[in-house]
Amino acid sequence: MTMHLSKMPKVALLTALFATSALPALAGGTLRLDEVPVGELDPGKALDYADSLLMFNVYDTLVMPTAGAPGQSPHLATEWTIEGNLVTFKLRDDVKFQSGNAFTADDVVFSFDRMKALGQGNAYLFSTVEKAEAVDANTVKFTLSAAYAPFIASLTRLPILDKALVLQHLGDGEGEMKDWGQAWLSANSAGSGAYKIVSHNPQSETVMSRNDGYFLGVPAEAPDEVRLRYGLEAATVRAMVSSGEHDITSQWLPPEVMMAMVGDGAHLLQEAGTGGFYIKLNTQKAPLDDVNCRLALANAFDYQTAMAITQITPEVAGGTAPTGAIPVGMLGAKPRDGGTLTRNMDAAKDYLSKCAYNPADYTLELSWVAEVPLEERFALLMQQNFSELGFNTEIVRVPWVLFTERVAKPETTPNISQVFVTAVTGDPDTLLYPMYHSSLSGTWQSPEYLKDAEVDALLDKGRTAATPADREAAYAAVNDRLMALAPTIYGFDRNTVMAASSRVSVPAMEDPAKAYALDGMGLSFRLMAMKD
Amino acid sequence: MGFLRIFLRRLGTALLVLFGVSLLIFVIARVIPGDPARVALGPNATAEQVSALREMLRLDDPVPLQYLHYMGRLFQGDLGISLYTNRPVTTDIAEFLPATLELILLAGVMMVAIGLPLGILAARYRGRWPDHLVRIAALLGVSAPSFVWAVVLMLIFGFWLQWLPIQSRLHDSFTIAPVTGFMLIDTLIAGNLAAFGNAISHLILPAFALALSGIGQAARLTRANMIETYDKPYIEMARAYGFPEGRIARRYAFKPSLIPSLTIIGLDFAAMLGSAFLVEQVFGWPGLSRYGVQVILRKDLNAIVGTVLIIAALFLLMNILVDLLTGLLNPRIRHAQGDKA
Repeated sequence: MTMHLSKMPKVALLTALFATSALPALAGGTLRLDEVPVGELDPGKALDYADSLLMFNVYDTLVMPTAGAPGQSPHLATEWTIEGNLVTFKLRDDVKFQSGNAFTADDVVFSFDRMKALGQGNAYLFSTVEKAEAVDANTVKFTLSAAYAPFIASLTRLPILDKALVLQHLGDGEGEMKDWGQAWLSANSAGSGAYKIVSHNPQSETVMSRNDGYFLGVPAEAPDEVRLRYGLEAATVRAMVSSGEHDITSQWLPPEVMMAMVGDGAHLLQEAGTGGFYIKLNTQKAPLDDVNCRLALANAFDYQTAMAITQITPEVAGGTAPTGAIPVGMLGAKPRDGGTLTRNMDAAKDYLSKCAYNPADYTLELSWVAEVPLEERFALLMQQNFSELGFNTEIVRVPWVLFTERVAKPETTPNISQVFVTAVTGDPDTLLYPMYHSSLSGTWQSPEYLKDAEVDALLDKGRTAATPADREAAYAAVNDRLMALAPTIYGFDRNTVMAASSRVSVPAMEDPAKAYALDGMGLSFRLMAMKD
Repeated sequence: MGFLRIFLRRLGTALLVLFGVSLLIFVIARVIPGDPARVALGPNATAEQVSALREMLRLDDPVPLQYLHYMGRLFQGDLGISLYTNRPVTTDIAEFLPATLELILLAGVMMVAIGLPLGILAARYRGRWPDHLVRIAALLGVSAPSFVWAVVLMLIFGFWLQWLPIQSRLHDSFTIAPVTGFMLIDTLIAGNLAAFGNAISHLILPAFALALSGIGQAARLTRANMIETYDKPYIEMARAYGFPEGRIARRYAFKPSLIPSLTIIGLDFAAMLGSAFLVEQVFGWPGLSRYGVQVILRKDLNAIVGTVLIIAALFLLMNILVDLLTGLLNPRIRHAQGDKA
């Protein structure tokens, strides 16, 4: 007996180690990808890229961006009509939530009311919407306080919740709706999407499995299970992809790591046309309150080298050549064949000669966001570029939290800041209005503090114009005006790049004809194919 | 009785220290830059929304009033809601703490099980090649930070040799219902030996990376203390009696040499609660240290205070345990502690 007991730990250890080497095979279609923490599951709070992935796959929206083309297509809605400030949607009658409850207009109204009541995440997109009403079970009507052309695009950011299910899980709170189900929805889903939540750990991983009852169907080759991991280190991700433990990386890896992974056999996924890299000039502080000084800097900036910094392979970079203030592919953008922005030192010196300030008298504070190390390289590039004009610069590393505080006042805002900005709905309004309308100055998107009546009027026109052609004309005019005022140096059009293992194919990020003009929509799991 | 008195005295002191820590971290969390409401609501929230959340969180109240309110809730076991995960801080801690504890417990076992024998070996073969080898290895372990070892070990055993897994606590193919939060225990409760073995394989690299510095410390300290003890007259007498070298080392030289090593190991073990962050980050380990750093970056006040309090409490608990253990090993220390107490 004694002998048996003394042998037991050894036996257990050996059994365990043996078992380790005989792992059960993963289900054929398990997709593993990663993003930065934290994954927010509540549709009323979702905001970041990781949140978008969850929303696009677990929930549905009334409309969705059209694949390979601008504009939106019906999704949960079958059609819509716009009469003045009223927008009416006819809804599908064959959709069921993952709970089995039928989708109706009441769910749309509830989802909208909840978004407005919480006032977080993307609620700001619906500030012009006064109310939503259910006309009948399959018709819903939105009343806007004023004409707002980007409204249809905004609906791509209104995930529709299963009202009956949420009402069963209201937590503590005041009023009829108590906490609006916030506590429960932070770990559970109430959607109709192609994937349902199996488990959710906001710091480490969200596990999803396919919803076989999805109203559009989930193809057999799509992943059976998805593991969205959060906050992995670059070195870890590289090792995991190479050893077959991971499939798609986040977009935040340094170009060198992506390059190494391509060398190990990974392929690159791309998503473009929704935003850019912007170098923001504080127009309220000398010497950059003089437009000629700003134009001098814009012409002295080395666009080619900036893009080379993001180069991954000879064909793929994290940025593409800018043509103006609006990224190519978006309403109002200048076509690429019309010429791209390039460095022009003669023009820079010419503008500088017209500037009222002597550059040697000023030291420009040039900030970079501490959480984005790539920006330090751009800061060094600018320091070198601008020194050729005689500007002194001081490079300052600013944590994001501090940056958002500093830009709240023009006097504390750095002379030069760097940010990546994306059009939240794919519409230029969500890119340009928060950056340049004078009513919204002083946020991380608008450290320029631009105060220009013409820009304001054109941006308002872009919101209210009746036809797409009128909107395009308005944004084209905004583009020209911004290039003349140079509140920003338009570094490059953003090209979101991720590395993927050969196990997975993502057509929406490999074929421009199938791409969506909405950040994150390309990673719709049901459109992917897992290879054995 | 003496032990109980020492324990109660130490506990009383620890509670006072905890109170001080709570006060300090509460104030520090409020003076670091950034508006927690703004960070939580996102960059597009309006000033009114930010103001409403500040009011809800009582951030506009004077700090002493906020502290009293916080302590009132703390005594009811409520650490507030985390703005980072949108869950109660107690839920987050209950989920993340076992992962970190499991990691540092194994690291602690490695420190003792590897560091002490290496120290004994080096002392016993003083000046010969085993001693040189141990000293070089110990120096390497101590001189490089744990995250460097984490990356090196990951590259060698996870990437090139592919012997051990790189990330997470368990292979994706296993589904184990959390009962205690300790994966080794939960897999055993589930009766799944394969999952148990897999959980061990996931623990080895991060725990070893975390333990390496402590192993080096323990080995160096044990060696130095044992060498000092070997020079004592009673060891010479034991040799003169013809006792075997192994017995002399184990029974007469090791025990007195253990006390300083134990103190250092205890402190190292407690310090790992905080320093595990980088190792957790490299291995994607969903632990409390990683959570602690994330909440500081997001200025999540409730979570910062809650996490620091828990880590401080564990640190103090470890100190008490070390005090009791050293007292147990050496009656003179026990009596001195009892007298002071």
